[in-house]
Amino acid sequence: MLTLYQQLLEIWNKAKGKERDAMLWGDEIEYLVVNYSKDDPKVLLSLRQADILKALADSKTLKVEGDCAPGTEANGEAGNVTLPVFHPEFGRFMLEATPGKPWGIDFKDLLTVEADMKLRRCIAKDHMLPNEHPITLTTFPRIGSPGVFTEPSYPVSGPKLRSQFVPDEIANPHIRFPTLAANIRSRRGRKVQVNVPVYRDENTPWPWKDPTVNYDLQNWPEDDDVRNGAAPDNFIHMDAMAFGMGSCCLQITFQAKNITEGRKMYDQLSPLGPILLALTAATPVYKGFLADTDVRWNQISRAVDDRTPEELGEKPLKNDRWRIPKSRYASNSTYISTDSRLRPEYMDPNLVIDPEIKQQLLDGGMDDRLATHFAHLFIRDPIVIFNEDLQELDLTKTDHFENIQSTNWQHMRFKPPPADNSIGWRVEFRPMEIQITDFENAAFSVFIVLITRAILSFDLNFYIPIVKVDENMETAHARNANLEKKFWFRKNPFPVRTTRRGGSASRSASGASTPSGGLSRPATPPLGPVEDEYRLMSVNEVINGTAYAKATSKEVTEDAEEGEEFPGLIPLVESYLDSVNMDVATRCGLARYLDLIRKRASGELWTAAKWIREFIAKHPEYKKDSVVSEEITKDLVGAVIQIGEREKRGLGIDDLIGQVPDLDKLFGNFLKGKSPCGGALKDYEAALGQESKDDEVKVNGVKRKFNEDE
Amino acid sequence: MAKLILSTGNIVSGGPSIVRKPGASNLELINSLKVSFQDAQIDYADEIENTTASPTTTTATNGTSNGVHEVQATNGANTTTSTTVTPGPLYWTEKTQNDTTETIFVPRIDWESASLSEERSQYDITVKIFFLPTTSPDVSARAAYTQEALGLVLKELGGISDVDLLVVSFPGMSFDGDCEWEADKLNAAQGDDEVEIATWQGAVEKLYTQGKVKRLGISEFGTEKLSRFIKRVGVKPAVDQINIKNCCNVPPPLAKLAKEQNVELLVHSDCTDILPEGTLRELLGPQGAGLLADPKVDGSQALSGNLTPQWVVKYTAVVKNRGVIENKGYFAGAELN
Repeated sequence: MLTLYQQLLEIWNKAKGKERDAMLWGDEIEYLVVNYSKDDPKVLLSLRQADILKALADSKTLKVEGDCAPGTEANGEAGNVTLPVFHPEFGRFMLEATPGKPWGIDFKDLLTVEADMKLRRCIAKDHMLPNEHPITLTTFPRIGSPGVFTEPSYPVSGPKLRSQFVPDEIANPHIRFPTLAANIRSRRGRKVQVNVPVYRDENTPWPWKDPTVNYDLQNWPEDDDVRNGAAPDNFIHMDAMAFGMGSCCLQITFQAKNITEGRKMYDQLSPLGPILLALTAATPVYKGFLADTDVRWNQISRAVDDRTPEELGEKPLKNDRWRIPKSRYASNSTYISTDSRLRPEYMDPNLVIDPEIKQQLLDGGMDDRLATHFAHLFIRDPIVIFNEDLQELDLTKTDHFENIQSTNWQHMRFKPPPADNSIGWRVEFRPMEIQITDFENAAFSVFIVLITRAILSFDLNFYIPIVKVDENMETAHARNANLEKKFWFRKNPFPVRTTRRGGSASRSASGASTPSGGLSRPATPPLGPVEDEYRLMSVNEVINGTAYAKATSKEVTEDAEEGEEFPGLIPLVESYLDSVNMDVATRCGLARYLDLIRKRASGELWTAAKWIREFIAKHPEYKKDSVVSEEITKDLVGAVIQIGEREKRGLGIDDLIGQVPDLDKLFGNFLKGKSPCGGALKDYEAALGQESKDDEVKVNGVKRKFNEDE
Repeated sequence: MAKLILSTGNIVSGGPSIVRKPGASNLELINSLKVSFQDAQIDYADEIENTTASPTTTTATNGTSNGVHEVQATNGANTTTSTTVTPGPLYWTEKTQNDTTETIFVPRIDWESASLSEERSQYDITVKIFFLPTTSPDVSARAAYTQEALGLVLKELGGISDVDLLVVSFPGMSFDGDCEWEADKLNAAQGDDEVEIATWQGAVEKLYTQGKVKRLGISEFGTEKLSRFIKRVGVKPAVDQINIKNCCNVPPPLAKLAKEQNVELLVHSDCTDILPEGTLRELLGPQGAGLLADPKVDGSQALSGNLTPQWVVKYTAVVKNRGVIENKGYFAGAELN
């Protein structure tokens, strides 16, 4: 255990002076692999992850041909393709794909993201069986339902997971994953309890008792859990890590200029987490039932919650060191920036840290805020450690630290450079749900990238107390939170203007490595109560600004008082775009992404969660009893596959409209064959002869490692 | 005659003035000038009591004392500079005098703090000069304005010696209309080809040949104007900035021409008449910054006379490989007769 902090100090000492790293970023797309054919009455999860990855690895150059060949829509520019990288995931029915090299901030780069995502999907599909499809639903609607839901099928109640709903074979067989699951279970002293409130429809029996729970099973001691109240009324009950870690997310990792900028980005993006979670909501179904929540977050949190009864506060502390208020997978508990605007009142009053580790880090020269952050992460036991790691610790390696770091799944992650310092300080934005199409996934990825540039350029300030971010995270779970709920958000995101008089108040725009020596204005207003700094806002108001929200909100009224108008994240991004040189086609492409997000936030377009709910509600097989049957699931997945197929081929979804309900509500005019914008953009590009500059971003050997982790 | 140099300082972290308003607008300039004036009035408030009623000259001090602000020769451009007290309402401004011209900086500029945080090569620096409807069409005057504007920007960005792109905006041009095709047609008859070409040849091209500007650009040139322009100028523009409502609707002939001539079409959202005379008067007048005298009040120490805006320059310094805007601001020049 002691070696952990030594390793961290080693990393920190080596990299704290690292400067002027370029802005690089990467996205991660996670897929479910399903087995679907029109003639088969069932859609199943494919457990062939290992075979698919092997096929991908074996095809030496991942030969890009057929559908994915250069020149096709999925590929784009001929001969200029960096092949994507595929990774295993916890779920054996999952696949993850990242770009072959990180993206830069050349604005034209931002428009290649979507094409690259399509290429990834295309290549993945090419290495699957004809009936297998990579889809980007967050969860498989009927995972853990009675009967067959995987191909091949295995009996439940295995020795590792001891789940009465899913077989051990649901997890990636690499030793790391079942070990992780078993360690969590054994540390808790019982199985995980993933309980989601069920959605109460007209014919849903009430109180609702999860009909799939087997109270008579006697294979493992943990089978007592349900007899001891693990499955309360009105909740869908799940009992294994796979129910959470089997969810697909959209995660973005940014490289910062230096540690200071990284710490700033970590803090400033943190309050945006719950907003983006609600805005990307895509998870309304679990284990064959409609849930009363729209997002995956808490389910993952519970699925990896390894806290003991003592740590949970259910028993007096005896063997454990402390009570821990949150799961290892939870919203952030720390702010870490050196920003002078970070007020002590924003910090989490219930933060648990390991004081010994903190002291060691302080003794090693680390500052208090960062030492507190890591001393907080280090309250967790390492849950996967391989023997070889313990025997010989190499201080030049970061594996040991990474082990703790990568099993702390907070909604932001602050990532130090690896041992060889080949990559800079990075920040990962983790709350977003995966979207059905790559158009949407690219839109949200690019949006977050642009927000970071606006934050750094305009020196924006989104600080609110961490407890309010926690509260927002809960709020984001509600059905239709996107439109019907309000979130705490900072009223004024702008910095106090610094004066230049009498010295250098000239700001170092990106992570002040030079101290601002300027005199602060005598009239700098004294800080008022923290409570006056924030108020409740709808997602629409946060994203589009007060004026737009007032004009468009149907579900909620905005609280903004005179002088409290919030400018909106999209107008801030547009201000940023207005201040940089950008060619017409690029601006047009980016405007399309911002337009999607604007419309999702205002409710003009639906979230995936809402669309899935409506799809189910309108299905002739649905009996208004919250049950999502095999047939409904098959049709839903079938629709998603059809959308994906068309997108991949660059075809519009026009022919699906009418066949698949509410596509206009989900996508509006986007993804139509000749959308006004896309069409003109193509014409414009055609006029330009599809010129593409090969602006190779220097990657310093950064390839697959860039955004690699859980 | 006196010359006024208005400046905003770095507005990129200056708060709400940066927030975009729909459509082409000069709100960013006007609002940030207002903020800049207000800030300076607060910053230099402690000097009000020291200012005296009538201008006197002093050589006793360096720096500021007794309301005197000593001014160093600016950037080698002016050789002789005298030191002048700034009287009452002008306490937050700064006057310099060389042989022929009196220049008043509104507000004072603390050049010491002017800098970029990294070396020049890290930045993409774009400068856009706006010739206004009130700008003299005389080429030598325009050459002087351009020199002066660029000189101020180079100095403001820490004494650098060149910029990456200089875009020239001429008055009377727009890309307005609901239909971009229509706008492109209308554009053909806008502006004044002769003055624009003469300005380009006499005031702009040499900055390129001297190496002070790496690329030149123009703004709001539609298909016909651009094609006429290119035929006659020596250094072809590398950039044409256009402001169209729906950026997806670039008129195909313009896209084609731009492609053939290797002109990059960039978007912008500035209006061409960025500093109208009346707006400037309001900004500086008794209801604004109080710099211009109220004709109804006798014996005012404020400035009086006819104020004519001559040029506006916008500058932006972006850290190249991080896409972070580090510095953005405006200068404007006006003449007081």
